[in-house]
Amino acid sequence: MNNKKKVYVVDNGGQWTHRIWRVVRDLEYETKIIENTTPVEDIDADALIFSGGAARIGWETLKLGKCTDYLDSFKGPILGHCLGHQLIALYHGGKAGPADIPEYGLAKIKIIHDDPIFKGIPKEFTVWESHNDEVKEASEFIILAESDNCKIQAFRHKTKPHYGFQFHPEVNNTEYGDILIKNFIELA
Amino acid sequence: MFNSKKFINDQVAELKTSIEGNAISGLSGGVDSTTAAILVHKAIGKKLVCVLVDTGFMRKNEIKHNRSLLANLGLNVVVVDAKQRFYKELKGVMDPERKRKKIGRLFIRVFEEVARKQHAKYFVQGTIAPDWIESGGGLRDTIKSHHNVGGLPKKIGFKILEPLRDLYKDEVRIVGKEIGLPREIYERQPFPGPGLAIRVIGEATLKRVEIVREACAIVEEEIETASRNKEMTRPWQYFAVLLPVKAVGVHGDLRVYKYIIAVRAVESMDGMSAAYSKIPHQVLERISVKITNVLKKHVSRVLYDVTNKPPGTVEYE
Repeated sequence: MNNKKKVYVVDNGGQWTHRIWRVVRDLEYETKIIENTTPVEDIDADALIFSGGAARIGWETLKLGKCTDYLDSFKGPILGHCLGHQLIALYHGGKAGPADIPEYGLAKIKIIHDDPIFKGIPKEFTVWESHNDEVKEASEFIILAESDNCKIQAFRHKTKPHYGFQFHPEVNNTEYGDILIKNFIELA
Repeated sequence: MFNSKKFINDQVAELKTSIEGNAISGLSGGVDSTTAAILVHKAIGKKLVCVLVDTGFMRKNEIKHNRSLLANLGLNVVVVDAKQRFYKELKGVMDPERKRKKIGRLFIRVFEEVARKQHAKYFVQGTIAPDWIESGGGLRDTIKSHHNVGGLPKKIGFKILEPLRDLYKDEVRIVGKEIGLPREIYERQPFPGPGLAIRVIGEATLKRVEIVREACAIVEEEIETASRNKEMTRPWQYFAVLLPVKAVGVHGDLRVYKYIIAVRAVESMDGMSAAYSKIPHQVLERISVKITNVLKKHVSRVLYDVTNKPPGTVEYE
């Protein structure tokens, strides 16, 4: 029990925050949902997952509580979903804003750069999306996957263990979602 | 993985210590409220009175059927006929959020009246995770105010207990099965608390609710028959919605101009995301023919909804 990895879900107000918690719990890791205002020194997790949320990243330089503190000083891997993914891009000098073609519900993802996070997953798969904004530029990242309407669906920072998914692996309709989350946690 | 045995033991123990004296529970006969009621019944036995409210927005024969089904489980069930009060409350109400909030408030008023009679200070309801998630609050946007969360009045005359608050529908079904509910209940498709009132777009009048009640009964019967006959697998949820617009049709060489019914069926695990059901065309055709024939006085056209969630939601309001 005690050697279970601890993965905390940072709540940015998403509809699917609690779903992330459930998937991580079902993968049998230790997990809880924490407010995005939790001081970084109070976080004893091995990895963090930033949820999505209703806030619009294109309209302001968004901090999402203390999420940028976590990107500054949390030592383990961090994965951002949707809005969390966009925030990670901004933090590392990228750009995000209103999507040219927003995606809601079903989309097809194509892996364009192989990575351990895709272990056991085919090159193309179906995901569930729900985003008004998207990442426009991410020069500090390796772009890992794309869809027809959104070119930055998944990325990894070139040197730090920071990952982002524009889509929602925590949603039941996304294929291989639990494997993606497990692969991420196993990086910790 | 979710451990239903541990969950049941923990919840029953907690309910035992947190309830003093009598409690009432709001019971519709669905899997959530029935599972919650059985947990409380295990904890406090005869000190629980279950309240089945006839809102006038229930499905065909539902109150009568559920009453006997629930009594067979050993629960003490009181049926409150509040049909007139609910219709009066919704008179002239068009906005879906106002509808949901008015229904939520009236439910609580009815439960308060029963609680006073039963000298109960505790009220149990079958709230599950999507109810409070979608009702919003804090950072989270309100997608829809679920009657049992976002529709609650500010002042309430009892303490609310929600033993299933952190579970999703698929987990509640596992708990329901584990505590011995009949398959008919633990496999029952979801039905919203506000009932048919939110399957009539616009004002929920008696006449329009009756149309959608019959249409829902047809959709359920045709889909359940087709599933039994292995033409398809039974979807997660399936129903009809009455749209507030009309279309032209022709009946026996005569022009008609009548309402449109939308048929909705979705596949989901937990209601938080869903894909529309790929129902075989011959089943959709039988549904369409039956609705337009049985409801010929009111409906001249049937549509099938092919929207996933997101961007749609499962219900329309």
